[in-house]
Amino acid sequence: MNTINFVLSGLGGQGILFLTRVLAQCALDKGIPVLGAETHGMAQRGGSVVSHLRTGDVESSLVREGTAHFLLALEENEAYRNLAVLAEKGTLCVNASGNPFPKNSVRPYLEKMKIQSRALPVGKIALQLNAPLAANSGLLGVFAALENAPFAKADIRATIARLSPKRFQALNLKVFDTCLEKASAV
Amino acid sequence: MKEAFLLGNGAIALGLLEGGCQVVTSYPGTPSSEILPEIVRFVKSENLKTYTEWSTNEKVALDNAYAAAVSGKRAACCMKQVGLNVAADSLMSAAYMGTTGALVIVSCDDPGPHSSQTEQDTRLMARLAKVPVLDPSNPREAREMARLALDLSQKFKIPVILRPGIRVCHARQNFSWNAFSVRGKSAVFEKNPARWAATPRFRFLLHRELNEKLAQISKKFDRLKGVNEHNLTKNTKYPLGIVAGGVPYSVVKDLFAESRREDIPILKLGAPYPFPERLAKQFLRACKKVLVLEETDTVIEYFLRDRKKVLGRLSGHVPSEGELLPDVIARVLNHVLEDLGIAPMTVSGNPEVQELVKNLNLPVRKPTLCPGCPHRASFFAIRKVQPKAIFTSDIGCYTLGLNLGGVDTCLDMGAGITMASGFYQAFAQDGVEQPIVATMGDSTFFHSGTAGLLNAVYNGARFILVLLDNDTTAMTGMQPTPALGIRADGSTGKAIPLERVVAGCGVDFIEVVDPYDIKTMTTLLKKAKAHVASPDGGIAVIIARHPCVIAYRDRAIPEKIPVTVTDECDECGFCHQRFECPALVPDAEIGHTTVNKSICADCGVCTQICPKGAIVGA
Repeated sequence: MNTINFVLSGLGGQGILFLTRVLAQCALDKGIPVLGAETHGMAQRGGSVVSHLRTGDVESSLVREGTAHFLLALEENEAYRNLAVLAEKGTLCVNASGNPFPKNSVRPYLEKMKIQSRALPVGKIALQLNAPLAANSGLLGVFAALENAPFAKADIRATIARLSPKRFQALNLKVFDTCLEKASAV
Repeated sequence: MKEAFLLGNGAIALGLLEGGCQVVTSYPGTPSSEILPEIVRFVKSENLKTYTEWSTNEKVALDNAYAAAVSGKRAACCMKQVGLNVAADSLMSAAYMGTTGALVIVSCDDPGPHSSQTEQDTRLMARLAKVPVLDPSNPREAREMARLALDLSQKFKIPVILRPGIRVCHARQNFSWNAFSVRGKSAVFEKNPARWAATPRFRFLLHRELNEKLAQISKKFDRLKGVNEHNLTKNTKYPLGIVAGGVPYSVVKDLFAESRREDIPILKLGAPYPFPERLAKQFLRACKKVLVLEETDTVIEYFLRDRKKVLGRLSGHVPSEGELLPDVIARVLNHVLEDLGIAPMTVSGNPEVQELVKNLNLPVRKPTLCPGCPHRASFFAIRKVQPKAIFTSDIGCYTLGLNLGGVDTCLDMGAGITMASGFYQAFAQDGVEQPIVATMGDSTFFHSGTAGLLNAVYNGARFILVLLDNDTTAMTGMQPTPALGIRADGSTGKAIPLERVVAGCGVDFIEVVDPYDIKTMTTLLKKAKAHVASPDGGIAVIIARHPCVIAYRDRAIPEKIPVTVTDECDECGFCHQRFECPALVPDAEIGHTTVNKSICADCGVCTQICPKGAIVGA
C-alpha cells in the first residue's frame, strides 16, 4: 500500500486537530490504516502547531523532510516555516492573507521542486460567512478541489458533516462549499 | 467489534483495561494527561467497574495504586516523566516490597522537550529503582505493552514501568477491539510486617529478592518475541548493526523499508531493563560495529560495554540533547554509513530550503496567555504594585507570565513558594528587605504548595503569594482540582476551598479578589505589601479567582465588552510590554495599536490599563 504523507500547520486555536481528524477519517473510511502525530500542551497556547498524518503501512508517525505529498497551512508564515517537508512534486494548500503567494524569493524553489501551490484567502472567506472558526473547513475545500486529491470531494464533505459539532456543522459545510467552488474556478 | 482513531494515550488506556486493570490513578502532565480521561471514557462505554481518580500529585497517585496492588488487584498510575521524580520515593521502596497483584507505572517522556523542564529518561529511573521497563515504539505497541506490563508485574510481583515517548502518547492510530470486561480479584491484604513495613534488616532480604527477580526477568527479556528481537541471518557477519528501542526503532524501521535496505540488521529492545544480556551478546557477535539509537539518554549504550564496537552518544555520533527526529536519525545513520565505507541511503529533501526559510525571517511564535486570560490581569497588577520584586513562579499556563515580566523563576512544582521563602531568608540574612511576589496556580498549590507554605510560615519568611485560581488545571487540558470538587469520572466529590487550606497553613492575611477588577486587585496588593512589611506581619496570600476563559467561556466573560483603540494611542508600547495580549497588535497602516477582532475575547480588561486612556469600550 502506497504511503501518503500529510503535514498540516497553523497556529494554536486554528483547528488543526479537526483538519487532521477529517483527513484521517477519509483514509480510514477507505480501509487505509492511518498513523498521525499531534501537538498538545504548552505549544497550543498560541504557538506554531504542526500535525503529521501518514496513511498506509508505516510504523512511525513523523513525516521526514522532503517526503510530504501534501502541506496544508492555515497561515502563510506557517507554510513557509514547514516548506522543507514537501517532497518534489508535492502540493501546498495555503490560507493566504492577501499578500501574493508565494513570495518572489520562494517561487524559484517551488518551481525547481515542481511543487504546486494553491492559495485562497479561506480565513477571510470564513469571516465573511460569519464563521471565523471555520477556516480549516475552507482549507479542506481547497484541498478537495485538487485534481490529485486522494479523496473524493463528496467523501471529504460527508466527513466534515459527520465530525463537526452540531452547532458548527452548517457553517463548516458552507465555508467548505464556497472555498471548494472558488478553488475549482482558479 | 468497535473501531476508533485513538490517541496513543487512548491506546494505553485500552491496553490497561484489556489487561484487567481495576484501579487507575493519575496527576495530569503533558504528554500523559489524556490517559486517565481515556480510561474514564472506556469505563463508561464498556460498562466497566474500574476505579479512577485524579490524585493531588504523582506520589499520592503511586501510593494509592500501590495499595491496590498489594491487595491482589491490578492497578496503574499515570504521570509525566518529571512527575515520576515526585513519586520516586514511593517507587524505590515499592520495588523492594513488591506486589501481590500488579502495578504498572506509566511515565511519559518528552524528548525535545516540548512541554517539560527536562529531557530526562524514565528508563534510567527504572534502572535506579531496579524495576523492569517497557518502551513502546508506536500506539499499537503501547496497547500490547500495557497488557504485557500488567502480566509481568503480576507474575514477578514487581512494579513495572511503561515508558511511552511523546510521539507515542500524542500519535494517533486506528484501533479495533472486541467487547471486554475487567474481572479482577477482590481486595485481600495479608498482613506481613516483615515485608509491608520492613525495617532495614528485612530490607536487605527484600533487596536480594528483588535482584533474583531481575535475573529471572532478564532471561525472559532474552526471548520476548516482538518486543526484544533481531533480524540476523544465521552465520552472517555484518559491518554494522543498529540497536534501537522506543520511537527511534519505528523511525529506523520505516527508513530502511523506504530505502529498501536489507543489509543492516536491527536489534529491537522494547524491554531494555533488566538488560537482555544474551540476546545483545548474540547480536554484537555478528556485527563489526553497532549504532545505538535511543531516547533520551544512554541506557542501552551503557549496557553494551564494548566501547570500541558501540557507536552512539558516548562516541559522539548521536546528539546528546533534543528529540531524535526522523531527519536527525537519517543524518546520523548516513554519517555512520559513510564513516564505515558503506553505501549511504538516498535521503530526500533539498538542503537549500533550510537556508531559504531562514532568510525569510519568519516571526518567532512564542506561546502566550490566551486573550481574556485572568492571569494576564493578575500579572499586570503585580508588576504595577511591586515593580522591583523578585517574581518566583511555578509550572502551569502562568509560567507564560514571563512575557509580561512577571516571572523570574520556574524550578519545579511547588517552588514558587519554596524559592520565595528561600530568597527571603537569603536576603534577610544580609539585612536586606527584598520584595518577593510568588505566583502559583490552584492545581499546583494542591499538588505541592502546602508543605512549602507551612515551612515558610513556620520559619518566618515574608512575601506576597498570589494564588492564580482559575478553577481548573488549564495547561494540561482542563482537569478538575480538589477545589472544584468534581472527580475524574465526573461525579461529585467534596470540594476543598483554597482559602481553608491556606488558613490551615497558618497564614493570617488571606484576601480573595477577581483579577479582572484591576483596581481592587491593586488596592489589595498594596495592603498585602504593607502586611509583609509590618512588624507583626508575615506572609500575605491573595487568591486571584476568575474562571479560565478556555474551560468556562461563558462564565469567564459574562458581559462582553468589545473594545477599540482611539487615536489617543501614540504607540508607546506599554500595553505590549506589560499586558501582552495577542489581540492588541501594532498596525503600521493606521499608525498605532489596534484590536484583532478575530481573537479578542471581549473581556474588556485592557480598558483599565492604557496610560493614555486610548483603549475604550467600542
